[in-house]
Amino acid sequence: MSETSGRVERDRRRFDAIVRGQIKHDLESYVSGSEMIGCKGGQLVSIPLPRIELPRLRFGSNSEERGGGAGTGSAADGAGDEAGVGTAGNVPGEHMLEVELTLEEMAKILGEELELPNIEPRGKAQVAVSGHRYSSVSRSGPRSLRHMRRTMKESLVRQIATGTYDPDDPRLVPIAEDLRFRSAKEILKPDHAAMILYMMDVSGSMGREQKEIVRLVSFWIDSWLRSQYKSLETRYLVHDASAKEVDHDTFYRLRESGGTKISSAYELAAQMLAQEFPSEEWNIYLFHFSDGDNWSGRDTEKCLSLLRETLLPAANLFCYGQVKSAYGSGQFMKDLDEGVGAQEGLIACEILDRQGILPAIKTFLGSGR
Amino acid sequence: MADIGAELLALQEAVEARARSQGLDFPEIVYEMVDHRQLNEIAAYGGFPVRYPHWRFGMEFDRLMKGHIYGLQRIYELVVNTKPVVAYLLNQNAAVEQKLIMAHVCGHADFFTHNAWFAHTERNMMDGLASHGSRVRTLIDEQGLEPVESFIDTVQSLDNLVDPGALSRARGKPGNGPPLDGLIPERDILGELLLRAPLKDWQQELLSILRDEAYYFLPQGLTKIMNEGWASFWHSRLMTSELLRDAEVVDYADQHSGAMGGDDGPMNPYKLGMELFRHIAATRGQEKIFEACTVHNDLTFIDNFLDEEFALAQGLGTTSEEFETAKAQLMDQLTNGGQPVIRRVDSDDGELILEHCWSGAELQVQAAEATLRNLEKLWAAPVRLYTCLNAKPVLISCIAGELSREEGPADSEVADEAA
Repeated sequence: MSETSGRVERDRRRFDAIVRGQIKHDLESYVSGSEMIGCKGGQLVSIPLPRIELPRLRFGSNSEERGGGAGTGSAADGAGDEAGVGTAGNVPGEHMLEVELTLEEMAKILGEELELPNIEPRGKAQVAVSGHRYSSVSRSGPRSLRHMRRTMKESLVRQIATGTYDPDDPRLVPIAEDLRFRSAKEILKPDHAAMILYMMDVSGSMGREQKEIVRLVSFWIDSWLRSQYKSLETRYLVHDASAKEVDHDTFYRLRESGGTKISSAYELAAQMLAQEFPSEEWNIYLFHFSDGDNWSGRDTEKCLSLLRETLLPAANLFCYGQVKSAYGSGQFMKDLDEGVGAQEGLIACEILDRQGILPAIKTFLGSGR
Repeated sequence: MADIGAELLALQEAVEARARSQGLDFPEIVYEMVDHRQLNEIAAYGGFPVRYPHWRFGMEFDRLMKGHIYGLQRIYELVVNTKPVVAYLLNQNAAVEQKLIMAHVCGHADFFTHNAWFAHTERNMMDGLASHGSRVRTLIDEQGLEPVESFIDTVQSLDNLVDPGALSRARGKPGNGPPLDGLIPERDILGELLLRAPLKDWQQELLSILRDEAYYFLPQGLTKIMNEGWASFWHSRLMTSELLRDAEVVDYADQHSGAMGGDDGPMNPYKLGMELFRHIAATRGQEKIFEACTVHNDLTFIDNFLDEEFALAQGLGTTSEEFETAKAQLMDQLTNGGQPVIRRVDSDDGELILEHCWSGAELQVQAAEATLRNLEKLWAAPVRLYTCLNAKPVLISCIAGELSREEGPADSEVADEAA
């Protein structure tokens, strides 16, 4: 069997290479379902598996094309035909397998898939998680916790030892000293406290698609960190020209307009850390998403100094994700690069579109901090 | 792979004795014990451990393995229509599951032996596909991986263009494709290409191999409901009448309902087929199911036996009208194995002209155009297809790699039917 296993692995590698676009580009347009793992509300997760569907003469809906035709008038119908060849297999959900997994399992699988390293906690704060487990036996205890088998065994041992045991009439009568009881052992587990702070730019230039990308990235970051820490504090912060703390729902739904002052967010973050999350006790993860279009160079200067002096020293990780918006990608990423430079604990990453979500998560969490 | 050991051999003997006593008739069955990885691998290759190399099998394997890891699906049984019949058992299965699978396999083996659509199927396909595999490997060594693989991609995009009606002509020919002497069946487009397209020798050989395999797997696509239904009918009857021990009842019930349930509801082929066979046995007698199993394919089976009483009882509808609609829908899905019927109209002037026999559903047009492109690659001359879009007859042409679409002639057959 070992020889055929080699065969199927070769075929599988070949398939992988096509899906990743390394070879046979003529087939690329037939790859479907290769995008990011998607989340549907609650605990349900669906995993689209990549698939290459060779074209065949088959029945299928042409509504997509008709929709386009209706919008542009029927005159375009004949001329615009050929542009659509690559869109085959775009129908979402067609090859989607839907699974019910707990998020913890999902995060673990995600970690394996992305080859994320397990995070090494800073080891500063140790929260004792105590649990009780009835794993030991004692000579005294309440009757409700009597350990029948052990009691009978003791009784048997005693009777054999004293010579009162009769195999033909194997009656066991436990006396007080035979009694055994289950007893609880307290377990102390060291755990590490962690907090994530998400900051999002909600200025006018951040559209719905940008927020959706941020939502997906932070959802999976959240899931991953939760699989690494027992207790995780999550806080959200939005900013345009001024920053404020919001709850989870608002974070994802809010749409504000106005200018962008990134420093406002960093100031509030620094304040929050100082008051509530001293870095000696917490593993701190800061994520900031923006389209990078900051108000002014002066404000950017302020941001950089806040980062250098306050935020970076306190945090395990500061991740900046720059989402490309309809108005293009801003300057902040470059400024960050020049102003702070390559530094441990700072990761900046550009997310152009949904395809960039997976690499972004890998970049953010690949360091294992 | 390993043999199954004395205990399971004894079990096999017991199961098969019961099956034969109930009237099932099948050749020798050989079981192989495999682990889940091996099973997934064999399943990815369509039941055959050794086939030609192609990424499509890798894709299938990937999907099966992921399905396994995420706990989405498990392969329930895997039977290969050869002589002797080969079936695979998963080494993690409990004894009661193995017993159920053996009973199920007896049903499949009987079906393969007696159903008319398999009458001309080459039974020595283990060797057949393995030798195809080694031929393709040799061709890859000679021609290089890229050209051979791309050619396989192209042919695979055409491999539903075969003629089920020609199956009966394959008798006695090793490999399974109907012979190409005399008149080529009008729906055997692969045969037409093989005979008349200007192909290089290695392409010709490869096409012939792929066409043979397409014909080998064709009957299985036409009899899915019947085949699974028959096997389920028999595993259920054998297990519950004689084979099941008291202690195994709950596990059996769990397994059985797992296979019969699922999101498809009453349309689960295992369930639908089994219930229909039960219905026939109850209303028309035991004889009738053996007869039905012999002569029908899914389409004619459903057409003949799925009546209103059955449909209402199975939740395929709540009123007569709903039943009619559901049945018509099901029949549409089963016609030609769910594939559009494409026939050759003309190929005499160098152009290959095809017609999609209109049955009420449109072709997915982008896929159709890409397919025509592939067809033209092999045919090396203009290729045209009559079909309907938006209830209007359309002629799609591919000439020198360029696609064009025009309104079809009003007098074409397609147009008449669509109108």
